[in-house]
Amino acid sequence: MNQEASINFSEDEKDILQEIMNIAFGNATADLAEVVDIYVMLSIPNIQVIGIGELPFYLKDTIKDDGESSIVEQKFWGNFKGSGLLVFPSGSGKDLLAFLDDRADYHHEGTAAATLEKGGLLEIGNILIGACVGKVSELLSTFVTYSPPQVLQGKSSDYNYLIEHFDPLQTAIVMKTIFTFKEKDINGFLLILTNHESIDWLRKALHEFMGTYE
Amino acid sequence: MIFSQMFDMLDVGIVILDSELNVFKWNRWMATHSKLPPEKIVGKSLFEFYPDLNTPWFLRNCKSVFTFGNFAFFSQKLHKYCFPFKAYNTLGSDFEFMQQSCTVGPLRDENNRITYIYITVQDVTEVAAYENKLITMNTRDGLTGIFNRRYLEAKLKEEFDRHIRYNRPLSLIMLDIDHFKKINDTHGHQAGDFILKSLATTIDERIRAVDIVARYGGEEFCVLLPETTSESALALAEFLRMGIEAEIYHFKDKSIKITISQGVSDLSDGVDSAEALLKKADDGLYESKRLGRNKVSMISNKKKVQ
Repeated sequence: MNQEASINFSEDEKDILQEIMNIAFGNATADLAEVVDIYVMLSIPNIQVIGIGELPFYLKDTIKDDGESSIVEQKFWGNFKGSGLLVFPSGSGKDLLAFLDDRADYHHEGTAAATLEKGGLLEIGNILIGACVGKVSELLSTFVTYSPPQVLQGKSSDYNYLIEHFDPLQTAIVMKTIFTFKEKDINGFLLILTNHESIDWLRKALHEFMGTYE
Repeated sequence: MIFSQMFDMLDVGIVILDSELNVFKWNRWMATHSKLPPEKIVGKSLFEFYPDLNTPWFLRNCKSVFTFGNFAFFSQKLHKYCFPFKAYNTLGSDFEFMQQSCTVGPLRDENNRITYIYITVQDVTEVAAYENKLITMNTRDGLTGIFNRRYLEAKLKEEFDRHIRYNRPLSLIMLDIDHFKKINDTHGHQAGDFILKSLATTIDERIRAVDIVARYGGEEFCVLLPETTSESALALAEFLRMGIEAEIYHFKDKSIKITISQGVSDLSDGVDSAEALLKKADDGLYESKRLGRNKVSMISNKKKVQ
């Protein structure tokens, strides 16, 4: 394992990444409202470099699971590789359904309420993660491929599995932002985790991004 | 050349749409399953042929792919299918339409602008059928075909919470075949199994579609009655009791008559959990047995039956 990557990620580089995230999330917010009628506010992202062995603990601490939160997880890959984790507070699945107020369009018959709720979480999760990761990728002149998102309910074995299987040998850059749906009392947070193996690429891309302004 | 061959060789449907959602490409798989050759649909709006896709969720997801370059996933679980194609060649499944898992993704031009999106369509009918079989195996009693205890307990909890929340009446009947052991001993276990199956059918035919009848234990059954007062539940129990008492079950050359004892419960008297509802019905059942069987009882206060 190459530990150098985490050590070499300088404060300057963190600042550039911070700036890119600010722009990216600003763009994402604007486009979400304009294009898909999703009115969401994203806080200024917080960036942390998580060292080897710390990731599972960081996630456990951050998610502070009350046993009820719903997590949408989606992996993406390309030069920029990692996962998006969207954490919703307990019971927001139903509110989200009301939010995507066109459920009648789904082939409803025989579809259990729980499935619909999960569908709502998946769709919102997919779009929010896609919007944020997509905008970051765009600024870094790359594009990524996404795997299907999955929903994990707190306290389930899947949840523990997910948390424990974030490779502790990986260094990760975690970008955390808090999101609030306007006019709805739903908020939660989004984590974008950058895998160890794309950190070298990320550093290069950050410098290239700065280069375009120099 | 090779790439364009792939487009038509893959066992996956591929559609490419422009930003107006007009069809740009339609592969051989799509042509075969839709019976629409490319020359008929290419250049036309997708919605002209598939108006059911002209929905907020489909538009929202396509727009999102065009804007963010993300992917959209239309799972079989939620959507069943995007394109109504006839299901074929699926052993023992009763799907009318091919179950599909669809993915939408971006396609960029040389300037990195997303100019097209693709949709891939995968036939997952067999997987869905297999999943349905597993669900049946997991929720149904193998012998009688009615729901099993696991399903009843899950439903009971769900209905209990819902009825408490909306302050609606909920009732439960627990019933047991009187002297079932004697039937097994006298006529054999095959006859016993036949009686269990017949009784399940007799009950199932006499209840509403929203009611749930489950095999709770050996010769014990439960009927969960949503939106039902104890008066109605008692009336149903009496109706079942009389019906079964009058019935003559024929197994091979034998005529077998049975009776059942029942206990009824509802949400009154401080029943504060699904378990308490079950317990109260069980207490009623015990009381019916004590009173000589072929009876319906409801313990109306929280008297403990020792």
